Amino acid sequence: MKLALASSPASDESARKQPAIQVSNLSIVFDTKGGQVIAVDRVSFDVAPGEFVCIAGPSGCGKSTVLNTIAGLEVPFEGEILVEGAPVYSPRPDVGMVFQQPHLFPWKSVRRNIAHGPRMLGKSTTEAYAIADDLIAMVGLKRFADAYPNTLSGGMQQRVAIARALANQPRVLLMDEPFGALDAQTRTVMQDNLLALRDRIKATIVFVTHDIDEAIVLADRVLIMSAGPGRILREVAVKLPRPRSSSVLVEPAYHSLKKDCLDVIRAEGLRAFNQSDAN
Amino acid sequence: MPEATSAESDIALRTGGRARRPNSVGLRRLNILVGALSLPLFIGLWELVSRSGTVNMVLFPPPTVVAAAVLEWIRSGQFFSDLLASLFRVTTGFIVGGALGILLGILTGQFPVISSLLSPLFHILRPIPPIAFVPIVILWFGLSEAGKLFLVVWGVFFTVWLSTHIGVQKVDRGLIRAALMLGTPRRQMLQEIVLLGALPYIVVGLRTAVSISFYTLVAAELAGAFAGIVYRIEIAQQNLQTGQVMGGLAALGLISFIADRLFAALAERIVWWR
Ligand SMILES: Nc1ncnc2c1ncn2[C@@H]1O[C@H](COP(=O)(O)OP(=O)(O)OP(=O)(O)O)[C@@H](O)[C@H]1O
Ligand SMILES: [Mg+2]
Repeated sequence: MKLALASSPASDESARKQPAIQVSNLSIVFDTKGGQVIAVDRVSFDVAPGEFVCIAGPSGCGKSTVLNTIAGLEVPFEGEILVEGAPVYSPRPDVGMVFQQPHLFPWKSVRRNIAHGPRMLGKSTTEAYAIADDLIAMVGLKRFADAYPNTLSGGMQQRVAIARALANQPRVLLMDEPFGALDAQTRTVMQDNLLALRDRIKATIVFVTHDIDEAIVLADRVLIMSAGPGRILREVAVKLPRPRSSSVLVEPAYHSLKKDCLDVIRAEGLRAFNQSDAN
Repeated sequence: MPEATSAESDIALRTGGRARRPNSVGLRRLNILVGALSLPLFIGLWELVSRSGTVNMVLFPPPTVVAAAVLEWIRSGQFFSDLLASLFRVTTGFIVGGALGILLGILTGQFPVISSLLSPLFHILRPIPPIAFVPIVILWFGLSEAGKLFLVVWGVFFTVWLSTHIGVQKVDRGLIRAALMLGTPRRQMLQEIVLLGALPYIVVGLRTAVSISFYTLVAAELAGAFAGIVYRIEIAQQNLQTGQVMGGLAALGLISFIADRLFAALAERIVWWR
Protein backbone atom coordinates (compact mmCIF):
# COMPACT_ATOMS: atom_id res chain seq x y z
CA MET A 1 0.00 0.00 0.00
CA LYS A 2 1.33 3.36 -0.98
CA LEU A 3 0.77 6.26 1.35
CA ALA A 4 0.33 9.57 -0.34
CA LEU A 5 3.08 12.06 0.32
CA ALA A 6 1.92 14.97 -1.77
CA SER A 7 2.88 18.36 -0.41
CA SER A 8 0.21 20.52 1.11
CA PRO A 9 -0.04 24.29 1.55
CA ALA A 10 0.73 23.91 5.24
CA SER A 11 3.70 21.60 4.80
CA ASP A 12 6.34 24.37 4.86
CA GLU A 13 4.93 25.52 8.15
CA SER A 14 4.62 22.05 9.60
CA ALA A 15 8.32 21.48 8.96
CA ARG A 16 8.98 24.05 11.63
CA LYS A 17 6.06 23.35 13.94
CA GLN A 18 5.05 20.06 15.45
CA PRO A 19 1.91 18.69 13.75
CA ALA A 20 -1.38 19.13 15.61
CA ILE A 21 -2.29 15.54 14.90
CA GLN A 22 0.01 12.66 14.01
CA VAL A 23 -1.61 9.37 13.04
CA SER A 24 0.98 6.69 12.45
CA ASN A 25 0.33 3.19 11.23
CA LEU A 26 -3.12 3.10 12.81
CA SER A 27 -5.05 -0.16 12.58
CA ILE A 28 -8.36 -0.82 14.25
CA VAL A 29 -9.93 -4.25 14.60
CA PHE A 30 -13.44 -4.99 15.81
CA ASP A 31 -14.53 -8.27 17.34
CA THR A 32 -17.82 -9.28 15.79
CA LYS A 33 -19.88 -12.46 15.80
CA GLY A 34 -18.38 -13.39 12.44
CA GLY A 35 -14.83 -13.03 13.78
CA GLN A 36 -12.44 -10.10 13.71
CA VAL A 37 -13.01 -7.31 11.23
CA ILE A 38 -10.22 -4.96 10.20
CA ALA A 39 -12.02 -1.62 10.05
CA VAL A 40 -8.89 0.50 9.50
CA ASP A 41 -5.64 -0.81 8.06
CA ARG A 42 -2.31 0.96 8.71
CA VAL A 43 -3.45 4.52 8.16
CA SER A 44 -0.91 7.32 8.59
CA PHE A 45 -1.30 11.06 8.15
CA ASP A 46 -0.35 14.33 9.83
CA VAL A 47 -2.42 17.44 10.25
CA ALA A 48 -0.64 20.77 10.64
CA PRO A 49 -1.75 23.29 13.26
CA GLY A 50 -4.67 25.33 11.94
CA GLU A 51 -5.10 23.10 8.91
CA PHE A 52 -8.55 22.01 7.69
CA VAL A 53 -8.44 18.39 6.53
CA CYS A 54 -11.39 16.49 5.10
CA ILE A 55 -11.56 12.71 5.11
CA ALA A 56 -13.79 11.50 2.29
CA GLY A 57 -14.74 8.00 1.37
CA PRO A 58 -17.62 5.59 0.87
CA SER A 59 -19.89 4.43 3.69
CA GLY A 60 -18.26 1.88 5.97
CA CYS A 61 -14.66 2.67 5.00
CA GLY A 62 -13.72 3.58 8.57
CA LYS A 63 -13.93 7.37 8.57
CA SER A 64 -15.84 7.51 11.84
CA THR A 65 -13.58 4.91 13.38
CA VAL A 66 -10.46 6.97 12.59
CA LEU A 67 -12.09 10.10 14.00
CA ASN A 68 -13.32 8.34 17.14
CA THR A 69 -9.81 7.06 17.76
CA ILE A 70 -8.33 10.55 17.45
CA ALA A 71 -11.05 11.61 19.91
CA GLY A 72 -10.00 8.91 22.36
CA LEU A 73 -13.39 7.18 22.20
CA GLU A 74 -11.88 4.12 20.46
CA VAL A 75 -8.62 2.35 21.29
CA PRO A 76 -6.06 1.68 18.54
CA PHE A 77 -5.34 -1.97 17.84
CA GLU A 78 -1.99 -1.04 16.40
CA GLY A 79 -0.17 2.20 15.77
CA GLU A 80 -0.21 5.49 17.58
CA ILE A 81 -2.02 8.81 17.64
CA LEU A 82 -0.42 11.98 18.97
CA VAL A 83 -2.41 15.16 19.49
CA GLU A 84 -0.22 18.17 20.20
CA GLY A 85 2.62 15.71 20.68
CA ALA A 86 0.91 13.70 23.43
CA PRO A 87 -0.56 10.22 22.95
CA VAL A 88 -4.34 9.92 23.18
CA TYR A 89 -5.76 7.42 25.66
CA SER A 90 -9.14 8.90 26.43
CA PRO A 91 -11.24 11.95 25.50
CA ARG A 92 -9.52 15.20 26.38
CA PRO A 93 -11.08 18.65 26.60
CA ASP A 94 -8.69 20.25 24.08
CA VAL A 95 -10.15 17.94 21.43
CA GLY A 96 -13.75 18.81 20.55
CA MET A 97 -16.15 16.67 18.57
CA VAL A 98 -19.30 17.25 16.54
CA PHE A 99 -21.20 14.11 15.62
CA GLN A 100 -23.55 13.39 12.73
CA GLN A 101 -26.45 13.59 15.18
CA PRO A 102 -26.38 16.74 17.33
CA HIS A 103 -26.62 14.69 20.59
CA LEU A 104 -27.74 17.76 22.51
CA PHE A 105 -28.78 17.20 26.12
CA PRO A 106 -32.57 17.36 25.76
CA TRP A 107 -33.07 18.56 29.33
CA LYS A 108 -30.85 21.59 28.91
CA SER A 109 -31.62 24.85 27.17
CA VAL A 110 -29.36 25.97 24.33
CA ARG A 111 -27.37 28.16 26.73
CA ARG A 112 -26.91 25.41 29.30
CA ASN A 113 -25.97 22.87 26.62
CA ILE A 114 -23.16 25.13 25.46
CA ALA A 115 -22.15 25.99 29.02
CA HIS A 116 -21.86 22.30 29.94
CA GLY A 117 -18.22 21.92 28.83
CA PRO A 118 -16.87 25.00 30.64
CA ARG A 119 -18.83 23.98 33.77
CA MET A 120 -17.22 20.53 33.66
CA LEU A 121 -13.81 22.14 33.40
CA GLY A 122 -14.46 24.00 36.64
CA LYS A 123 -15.68 27.39 35.42
CA SER A 124 -18.32 29.17 37.48
CA THR A 125 -21.87 29.27 36.14
CA THR A 126 -21.54 32.98 35.38
CA GLU A 127 -18.33 32.48 33.41
CA ALA A 128 -19.76 29.48 31.59
CA TYR A 129 -22.91 31.39 30.62
CA ALA A 130 -20.83 34.31 29.36
CA ILE A 131 -18.85 31.94 27.12
CA ALA A 132 -22.11 30.35 25.96
CA ASP A 133 -23.73 33.68 25.13
CA ASP A 134 -20.73 34.72 23.00
CA LEU A 135 -20.95 31.47 21.04
CA ILE A 136 -24.73 31.72 20.72
CA ALA A 137 -24.24 35.11 19.07
CA MET A 138 -21.51 33.65 16.85
CA VAL A 139 -23.78 30.92 15.50
CA GLY A 140 -26.70 33.33 15.20
CA LEU A 141 -29.09 31.80 17.71
CA LYS A 142 -29.60 34.70 20.14
CA ARG A 143 -33.37 34.38 20.02
CA PHE A 144 -33.14 30.72 20.98
CA ALA A 145 -30.75 30.91 23.96
CA ASP A 146 -33.43 29.65 26.36
CA ALA A 147 -35.09 27.21 23.94
CA TYR A 148 -34.92 23.46 24.46
CA PRO A 149 -33.36 21.32 21.68
CA ASN A 150 -36.63 19.61 20.70
CA THR A 151 -38.01 22.98 19.60
CA LEU A 152 -35.13 23.63 17.14
CA SER A 153 -34.74 22.57 13.51
CA GLY A 154 -32.01 20.08 12.57
CA GLY A 155 -29.73 22.81 11.24
CA MET A 156 -30.17 24.91 14.36
CA GLN A 157 -29.48 21.91 16.57
CA GLN A 158 -26.26 21.22 14.70
CA ARG A 159 -25.21 24.87 15.13
CA VAL A 160 -25.73 24.45 18.88
CA ALA A 161 -23.65 21.25 18.77
CA ILE A 162 -20.82 23.14 17.03
CA ALA A 163 -21.02 25.99 19.54
CA ARG A 164 -21.01 23.47 22.38
CA ALA A 165 -17.88 21.80 21.00
CA LEU A 166 -16.17 25.20 20.68
CA ALA A 167 -17.00 26.26 24.24
CA ASN A 168 -13.94 24.49 25.66
CA GLN A 169 -11.76 26.31 23.09
CA PRO A 170 -10.44 23.04 21.64
CA ARG A 171 -7.11 23.03 19.80
CA VAL A 172 -8.50 20.30 17.57
CA LEU A 173 -12.08 20.10 16.31
CA LEU A 174 -13.27 16.77 14.94
CA MET A 175 -16.44 16.75 12.85
CA ASP A 176 -18.10 13.50 11.76
CA GLU A 177 -20.46 14.19 8.85
CA PRO A 178 -22.03 17.02 10.86
CA PHE A 179 -24.19 18.14 7.94
CA GLY A 180 -24.97 14.67 6.63
CA ALA A 181 -28.51 14.64 7.98
CA LEU A 182 -29.42 18.09 6.62
CA ASP A 183 -31.12 18.98 3.35
CA ALA A 184 -28.95 20.32 0.51
CA GLN A 185 -29.93 23.96 1.00
CA THR A 186 -29.33 23.99 4.75
CA ARG A 187 -26.07 22.12 4.21
CA THR A 188 -24.74 24.85 1.91
CA VAL A 189 -25.62 27.52 4.49
CA MET A 190 -23.95 25.49 7.22
CA GLN A 191 -20.78 25.07 5.12
CA ASP A 192 -20.56 28.82 4.64
CA ASN A 193 -21.19 29.35 8.36
CA LEU A 194 -18.42 26.90 9.21
CA LEU A 195 -15.98 28.60 6.82
CA ALA A 196 -16.74 31.98 8.41
CA LEU A 197 -16.47 30.53 11.90
CA ARG A 198 -13.20 28.86 11.05
CA ASP A 199 -11.60 32.23 10.30
CA ARG A 200 -12.41 33.33 13.86
CA ILE A 201 -11.36 30.26 15.83
CA LYS A 202 -7.86 28.94 15.48
CA ALA A 203 -8.63 25.25 15.80
CA THR A 204 -7.23 22.50 13.61
CA ILE A 205 -10.18 20.80 11.96
CA VAL A 206 -10.62 17.23 10.75
CA PHE A 207 -13.92 16.90 8.96
CA VAL A 208 -15.39 13.61 7.76
CA THR A 209 -17.77 13.51 4.82
CA HIS A 210 -18.74 11.23 1.98
CA ASP A 211 -19.54 14.24 -0.18
CA ILE A 212 -16.58 15.18 -2.43
CA ASP A 213 -18.08 18.62 -3.14
CA GLU A 214 -18.31 19.37 0.55
CA ALA A 215 -14.73 18.22 1.08
CA ILE A 216 -13.37 20.51 -1.65
CA VAL A 217 -15.38 23.53 -0.49
CA LEU A 218 -14.11 23.24 3.06
CA ALA A 219 -10.67 21.68 3.11
CA ASP A 220 -7.02 22.62 2.64
CA ARG A 221 -6.42 18.96 1.97
CA VAL A 222 -8.69 16.01 1.21
CA LEU A 223 -7.76 12.48 2.26
CA ILE A 224 -9.58 9.95 0.11
CA MET A 225 -10.21 6.62 1.80
CA SER A 226 -11.25 3.29 0.37
CA ALA A 227 -13.27 0.56 2.00
CA GLY A 228 -12.60 -3.01 3.06
CA PRO A 229 -10.30 -2.55 4.93
CA GLY A 230 -10.15 1.21 5.34
CA ARG A 231 -7.01 2.76 3.88
CA ILE A 232 -5.99 6.17 2.60
CA LEU A 233 -5.84 6.06 -1.20
CA ARG A 234 -4.62 9.51 -1.99
CA GLU A 235 -4.47 13.00 -0.64
CA VAL A 236 -5.46 15.99 -2.72
CA ALA A 237 -4.33 19.51 -1.81
CA VAL A 238 -7.09 22.07 -2.35
CA LYS A 239 -5.36 25.27 -3.35
CA LEU A 240 -8.47 27.35 -3.72
CA PRO A 241 -8.13 30.87 -2.28
CA ARG A 242 -9.52 31.78 1.12
CA PRO A 243 -11.76 33.28 2.41
CA ARG A 244 -13.91 30.81 0.62
CA SER A 245 -17.58 30.05 0.32
CA SER A 246 -19.72 27.37 -1.28
CA SER A 247 -19.67 29.44 -4.48
CA VAL A 248 -16.26 27.92 -5.37
CA LEU A 249 -18.34 25.07 -6.75
CA VAL A 250 -18.68 27.00 -10.03
CA GLU A 251 -14.98 27.80 -10.51
CA PRO A 252 -12.86 25.98 -13.14
CA ALA A 253 -10.15 25.12 -10.57
CA TYR A 254 -12.79 23.32 -8.58
CA HIS A 255 -13.73 21.12 -11.52
CA SER A 256 -10.23 19.87 -12.13
CA LEU A 257 -9.91 19.07 -8.40
CA LYS A 258 -13.15 17.17 -8.45
CA LYS A 259 -11.98 15.25 -11.51
CA ASP A 260 -8.77 14.26 -9.67
CA CYS A 261 -10.79 12.96 -6.75
CA LEU A 262 -13.31 11.10 -8.88
CA ASP A 263 -10.53 9.48 -10.94
CA VAL A 264 -9.03 8.05 -7.76
CA ILE A 265 -12.40 6.80 -6.56
CA ARG A 266 -13.28 5.29 -9.95
CA ALA A 267 -9.93 3.50 -10.27
CA GLU A 268 -10.34 2.05 -6.78
CA GLY A 269 -13.91 0.99 -7.50
CA LEU A 270 -12.75 -0.79 -10.63
CA ARG A 271 -9.91 -2.50 -8.78
CA ALA A 272 -12.25 -3.68 -6.02
CA PHE A 273 -14.71 -4.92 -8.62
CA ASN A 274 -12.09 -6.90 -10.53
CA GLN A 275 -10.76 -8.35 -7.31
CA SER A 276 -14.17 -9.55 -6.16
CA ASP A 277 -14.67 -10.98 -9.66
CA ALA A 278 -11.43 -12.98 -9.42
CA ASN A 279 -12.44 -14.51 -6.06
CA MET B 1 -49.22 42.17 19.77
CA PRO B 2 -49.39 43.75 16.34
CA GLU B 3 -47.66 40.74 14.70
CA ALA B 4 -50.26 38.30 15.90
CA THR B 5 -53.17 40.46 14.79
CA SER B 6 -51.70 40.94 11.34
CA ALA B 7 -51.14 37.19 11.04
CA GLU B 8 -54.68 36.55 12.17
CA SER B 9 -56.14 38.99 9.70
CA ASP B 10 -53.92 37.46 7.03
CA ILE B 11 -55.35 34.03 7.73
CA ALA B 12 -58.85 35.47 7.88
CA LEU B 13 -58.29 37.10 4.48
CA ARG B 14 -56.98 33.94 2.86
CA THR B 15 -59.79 31.81 4.20
CA GLY B 16 -62.33 34.45 3.18
CA GLY B 17 -63.15 35.29 6.81
CA ARG B 18 -64.46 31.84 7.60
CA ALA B 19 -62.94 29.31 9.93
CA ARG B 20 -61.69 26.53 7.72
CA ARG B 21 -63.86 23.87 9.32
CA PRO B 22 -67.01 25.56 10.60
CA ASN B 23 -68.31 22.23 11.88
CA SER B 24 -65.43 21.63 14.27
CA VAL B 25 -66.63 24.19 16.86
CA GLY B 26 -70.15 22.76 16.91
CA LEU B 27 -68.81 19.22 17.18
CA ARG B 28 -66.60 20.13 20.12
CA ARG B 29 -69.54 21.76 21.95
CA LEU B 30 -71.63 18.65 21.40
CA ASN B 31 -68.85 16.48 22.82
CA ILE B 32 -68.55 18.66 25.93
CA LEU B 33 -72.33 18.51 26.44
CA VAL B 34 -72.45 14.72 26.07
CA GLY B 35 -69.48 14.41 28.43
CA ALA B 36 -71.21 16.51 31.07
CA LEU B 37 -74.37 14.39 30.79
CA SER B 38 -72.54 11.06 31.02
CA LEU B 39 -72.54 10.60 34.81
CA PRO B 40 -76.03 12.08 35.51
CA LEU B 41 -77.49 9.83 32.81
CA PHE B 42 -75.80 6.77 34.23
CA ILE B 43 -76.86 7.56 37.81
CA GLY B 44 -80.44 8.32 36.74
CA LEU B 45 -80.70 5.03 34.88
CA TRP B 46 -79.30 3.18 37.87
CA GLU B 47 -81.88 4.82 40.17
CA LEU B 48 -84.70 3.82 37.80
CA VAL B 49 -83.55 0.21 37.46
CA SER B 50 -83.07 -0.21 41.22
CA ARG B 51 -86.52 1.14 42.02
CA SER B 52 -88.29 -0.61 39.14
CA GLY B 53 -88.81 -3.75 41.23
CA THR B 54 -87.08 -6.03 38.75
CA VAL B 55 -83.99 -6.32 40.97
CA ASN B 56 -83.49 -6.94 44.68
CA MET B 57 -83.07 -3.47 46.22
CA VAL B 58 -81.06 -4.81 49.14
CA LEU B 59 -78.41 -6.23 46.83
CA PHE B 60 -78.66 -3.46 44.23
CA PRO B 61 -79.55 -0.26 46.10
CA PRO B 62 -80.23 2.95 44.16
CA PRO B 63 -77.74 5.87 44.19
CA THR B 64 -79.84 7.79 46.72
CA VAL B 65 -79.41 4.98 49.24
CA VAL B 66 -75.69 4.81 48.48
CA ALA B 67 -75.41 8.58 48.97
CA ALA B 68 -77.20 8.33 52.30
CA ALA B 69 -74.81 5.59 53.41
CA VAL B 70 -71.82 7.70 52.42
CA LEU B 71 -73.20 10.72 54.29
CA GLU B 72 -73.70 8.59 57.39
CA TRP B 73 -70.17 7.27 56.97
CA ILE B 74 -68.79 10.81 56.87
CA ARG B 75 -70.99 12.02 59.76
CA SER B 76 -69.85 9.20 62.03
CA GLY B 77 -66.26 10.36 61.58
CA GLN B 78 -65.22 6.90 60.42
CA PHE B 79 -64.75 8.04 56.86
CA PHE B 80 -61.82 10.27 57.71
CA SER B 81 -60.06 7.75 59.89
CA ASP B 82 -60.57 5.14 57.15
CA LEU B 83 -59.33 7.56 54.51
CA LEU B 84 -56.29 8.50 56.57
CA ALA B 85 -55.41 4.87 57.29
CA SER B 86 -55.63 3.91 53.59
CA LEU B 87 -53.81 6.99 52.33
CA PHE B 88 -51.05 6.47 54.87
CA ARG B 89 -50.50 2.89 53.66
CA VAL B 90 -50.56 3.85 50.00
CA THR B 91 -48.28 6.89 50.31
CA THR B 92 -45.74 5.34 52.64
CA GLY B 93 -45.63 2.15 50.60
CA PHE B 94 -45.34 4.10 47.37
CA ILE B 95 -42.53 6.30 48.66
CA VAL B 96 -40.52 3.47 50.23
CA GLY B 97 -41.09 1.06 47.30
CA GLY B 98 -40.43 3.79 44.73
CA ALA B 99 -37.22 4.94 46.43
CA LEU B 100 -35.93 1.36 46.71
CA GLY B 101 -36.91 0.67 43.09
CA ILE B 102 -35.11 3.75 41.78
CA LEU B 103 -32.01 3.08 43.86
CA LEU B 104 -31.67 -0.57 42.86
CA GLY B 105 -32.67 0.18 39.26
CA ILE B 106 -29.80 2.64 39.00
CA LEU B 107 -27.40 0.12 40.55
CA THR B 108 -28.42 -2.80 38.32
CA GLY B 109 -28.72 -0.57 35.26
CA GLN B 110 -25.31 0.99 35.73
CA PHE B 111 -23.19 -1.86 37.11
CA PRO B 112 -23.27 -5.20 35.23
CA VAL B 113 -21.94 -7.09 38.28
CA ILE B 114 -24.83 -5.96 40.47
CA SER B 115 -27.23 -6.71 37.63
CA SER B 116 -25.86 -10.26 37.28
CA LEU B 117 -26.25 -10.71 41.02
CA LEU B 118 -29.80 -9.36 41.45
CA SER B 119 -31.64 -9.39 38.12
CA PRO B 120 -32.30 -13.18 37.98
CA LEU B 121 -33.79 -13.07 41.49
CA PHE B 122 -35.92 -10.02 40.70
CA HIS B 123 -37.16 -11.50 37.44
CA ILE B 124 -38.39 -14.60 39.31
CA LEU B 125 -40.05 -12.66 42.14
CA ARG B 126 -41.58 -9.91 39.98
CA PRO B 127 -44.34 -11.90 38.20
CA ILE B 128 -45.77 -13.32 41.47
CA PRO B 129 -48.95 -11.29 42.13
CA PRO B 130 -48.52 -9.41 45.43
CA ILE B 131 -51.89 -10.78 46.62
CA ALA B 132 -50.33 -14.24 46.71
CA PHE B 133 -48.09 -13.02 49.53
CA VAL B 134 -51.02 -12.28 51.85
CA PRO B 135 -50.87 -15.65 53.69
CA ILE B 136 -47.17 -15.46 54.39
CA VAL B 137 -47.39 -11.80 55.32
CA ILE B 138 -50.02 -12.71 57.93
CA LEU B 139 -47.68 -15.40 59.26
CA TRP B 140 -44.75 -13.01 59.43
CA PHE B 141 -46.36 -9.77 60.50
CA GLY B 142 -49.77 -10.76 61.90
CA LEU B 143 -52.29 -7.96 61.45
CA SER B 144 -49.73 -5.22 62.08
CA GLU B 145 -49.24 -2.15 59.91
CA ALA B 146 -45.80 -3.43 58.86
CA GLY B 147 -47.35 -6.32 56.96
CA LYS B 148 -49.60 -3.96 54.99
CA LEU B 149 -46.70 -1.69 54.14
CA PHE B 150 -44.71 -4.74 53.07
CA LEU B 151 -47.37 -5.68 50.50
CA VAL B 152 -47.62 -2.19 49.00
CA VAL B 153 -43.83 -1.76 48.95
CA TRP B 154 -43.48 -5.15 47.29
CA GLY B 155 -45.96 -4.28 44.54
CA VAL B 156 -44.47 -0.84 43.85
CA PHE B 157 -40.84 -1.87 44.05
CA PHE B 158 -40.67 -4.27 41.11
CA THR B 159 -42.42 -1.98 38.64
CA VAL B 160 -40.22 0.96 39.53
CA TRP B 161 -37.07 -1.16 39.62
CA LEU B 162 -37.68 -2.57 36.14
CA SER B 163 -38.49 0.75 34.50
CA THR B 164 -35.49 2.44 36.14
CA HIS B 165 -33.21 -0.42 35.12
CA ILE B 166 -34.40 -0.22 31.50
CA GLY B 167 -34.26 3.59 31.54
CA VAL B 168 -30.64 3.61 32.72
CA GLN B 169 -29.68 1.03 30.09
CA LYS B 170 -31.44 2.90 27.31
CA VAL B 171 -29.69 6.21 27.92
CA ASP B 172 -28.47 7.36 24.50
CA ARG B 173 -24.82 6.31 24.09
CA GLY B 174 -24.40 9.37 21.87
CA LEU B 175 -25.19 11.66 24.81
CA ILE B 176 -22.58 9.89 26.92
CA ARG B 177 -19.96 10.22 24.17
CA ALA B 178 -20.83 13.90 23.72
CA ALA B 179 -20.53 14.43 27.47
CA LEU B 180 -17.17 12.62 27.54
CA MET B 181 -15.89 14.84 24.73
CA LEU B 182 -16.90 17.91 26.73
CA GLY B 183 -14.77 16.86 29.68
CA THR B 184 -17.45 15.25 31.86
CA PRO B 185 -15.62 12.94 34.28
CA ARG B 186 -16.91 9.36 34.24
CA ARG B 187 -17.76 9.49 37.94
CA GLN B 188 -20.03 12.48 37.28
CA MET B 189 -21.77 10.79 34.32
CA LEU B 190 -24.49 9.37 36.57
CA GLN B 191 -25.68 12.70 37.92
CA GLU B 192 -25.04 14.71 34.75
CA ILE B 193 -26.42 12.40 32.06
CA VAL B 194 -27.67 8.97 33.15
CA LEU B 195 -30.22 10.02 35.77
CA LEU B 196 -31.80 12.65 33.55
CA GLY B 197 -31.70 10.39 30.51
CA ALA B 198 -33.52 7.69 32.49
CA LEU B 199 -35.98 10.09 34.11
CA PRO B 200 -38.80 9.73 31.54
CA TYR B 201 -38.74 5.93 32.04
CA ILE B 202 -38.63 6.28 35.82
CA VAL B 203 -41.65 8.58 35.75
CA VAL B 204 -43.64 6.13 33.62
CA GLY B 205 -42.76 3.36 36.09
CA LEU B 206 -43.83 5.50 39.03
CA ARG B 207 -47.13 6.31 37.37
CA THR B 208 -47.90 2.63 36.81
CA ALA B 209 -46.93 2.06 40.43
CA VAL B 210 -49.60 4.52 41.61
CA SER B 211 -52.38 2.18 40.48
CA ILE B 212 -50.43 -0.86 41.64
CA SER B 213 -50.20 0.62 45.12
CA PHE B 214 -54.02 0.77 45.20
CA TYR B 215 -54.35 -2.86 44.04
CA THR B 216 -52.01 -4.00 46.77
CA LEU B 217 -53.83 -1.82 49.30
CA VAL B 218 -56.95 -3.90 48.65
CA ALA B 219 -55.05 -7.11 49.33
CA ALA B 220 -53.44 -5.60 52.41
CA GLU B 221 -56.70 -4.44 53.98
CA LEU B 222 -58.63 -7.60 53.10
CA ALA B 223 -55.93 -9.51 54.94
CA GLY B 224 -57.25 -7.95 58.15
CA ALA B 225 -57.15 -4.38 59.40
CA PHE B 226 -58.80 -2.11 61.95
CA ALA B 227 -59.45 0.86 59.67
CA GLY B 228 -59.28 1.70 55.98
CA ILE B 229 -61.57 2.13 52.99
CA VAL B 230 -61.35 -1.48 51.88
CA TYR B 231 -61.65 -2.67 55.47
CA ARG B 232 -64.92 -0.68 55.71
CA ILE B 233 -66.18 -2.29 52.49
CA GLU B 234 -65.54 -5.72 53.94
CA ILE B 235 -67.29 -4.95 57.24
CA ALA B 236 -70.29 -3.52 55.35
CA GLN B 237 -70.47 -6.65 53.24
CA GLN B 238 -70.61 -8.82 56.37
CA ASN B 239 -73.54 -6.69 57.61
CA LEU B 240 -75.26 -6.78 54.21
CA GLN B 241 -75.00 -2.93 53.97
CA THR B 242 -74.76 -2.95 50.20
CA GLY B 243 -75.12 0.85 49.99
CA GLN B 244 -72.06 1.24 52.19
CA VAL B 245 -70.16 -1.31 50.07
CA MET B 246 -70.93 0.63 46.90
CA GLY B 247 -70.08 3.93 48.58
CA GLY B 248 -66.73 2.46 49.59
CA LEU B 249 -66.06 1.32 46.04
CA ALA B 250 -66.93 4.76 44.69
CA ALA B 251 -64.63 6.39 47.26
CA LEU B 252 -61.79 4.03 46.32
CA GLY B 253 -62.31 4.77 42.62
CA LEU B 254 -62.39 8.50 43.23
CA ILE B 255 -59.25 8.48 45.39
CA SER B 256 -57.17 6.45 42.95
CA PHE B 257 -58.45 8.60 40.08
CA ILE B 258 -57.35 11.77 41.89
CA ALA B 259 -54.00 10.19 42.78
CA ASP B 260 -53.38 9.25 39.15
CA ARG B 261 -54.29 12.73 37.90
CA LEU B 262 -52.14 14.41 40.54
CA PHE B 263 -49.21 12.23 39.56
CA ALA B 264 -49.74 12.88 35.86
CA ALA B 265 -49.62 16.63 36.55
CA LEU B 266 -46.52 16.15 38.68
CA ALA B 267 -44.87 14.01 35.99
CA GLU B 268 -45.19 16.84 33.51
CA ARG B 269 -43.16 19.02 35.86
CA ILE B 270 -40.58 16.35 36.61
CA VAL B 271 -39.77 15.81 32.92
CA TRP B 272 -39.66 19.55 32.35
CA TRP B 273 -38.10 19.59 28.89
CA ARG B 274 -40.88 17.67 27.14
N1 LIG C 1 -18.44 -1.05 17.22
C1 LIG C 1 -18.22 -1.76 16.10
N2 LIG C 1 -18.27 -3.10 16.12
C2 LIG C 1 -18.05 -3.82 15.00
N3 LIG C 1 -17.79 -3.29 13.81
C3 LIG C 1 -17.73 -1.96 13.70
C4 LIG C 1 -17.96 -1.13 14.85
N4 LIG C 1 -17.86 0.16 14.45
C5 LIG C 1 -17.58 0.12 13.14
N5 LIG C 1 -17.49 -1.14 12.68
C6 LIG C 1 -17.18 -1.55 11.31
O1 LIG C 1 -16.06 -0.85 10.91
C7 LIG C 1 -16.19 -0.40 9.57
C8 LIG C 1 -16.00 1.10 9.49
O2 LIG C 1 -17.08 1.73 10.16
P1 LIG C 1 -17.19 3.31 10.25
O3 LIG C 1 -18.41 3.62 11.05
O4 LIG C 1 -15.93 3.87 10.72
O5 LIG C 1 -17.45 3.71 8.73
P2 LIG C 1 -17.71 5.15 8.09
O6 LIG C 1 -16.70 5.36 7.05
O7 LIG C 1 -17.82 6.17 9.16
O8 LIG C 1 -19.12 4.94 7.41
P3 LIG C 1 -20.33 5.99 7.25
O9 LIG C 1 -20.00 6.90 6.12
O10 LIG C 1 -21.51 5.11 6.90
O11 LIG C 1 -20.50 6.69 8.56
C9 LIG C 1 -17.55 -0.86 9.10
O12 LIG C 1 -17.38 -2.01 8.31
C10 LIG C 1 -18.29 -1.17 10.35
O13 LIG C 1 -19.17 -2.24 10.13
MG1 LIG D 1 -19.44 7.38 9.95
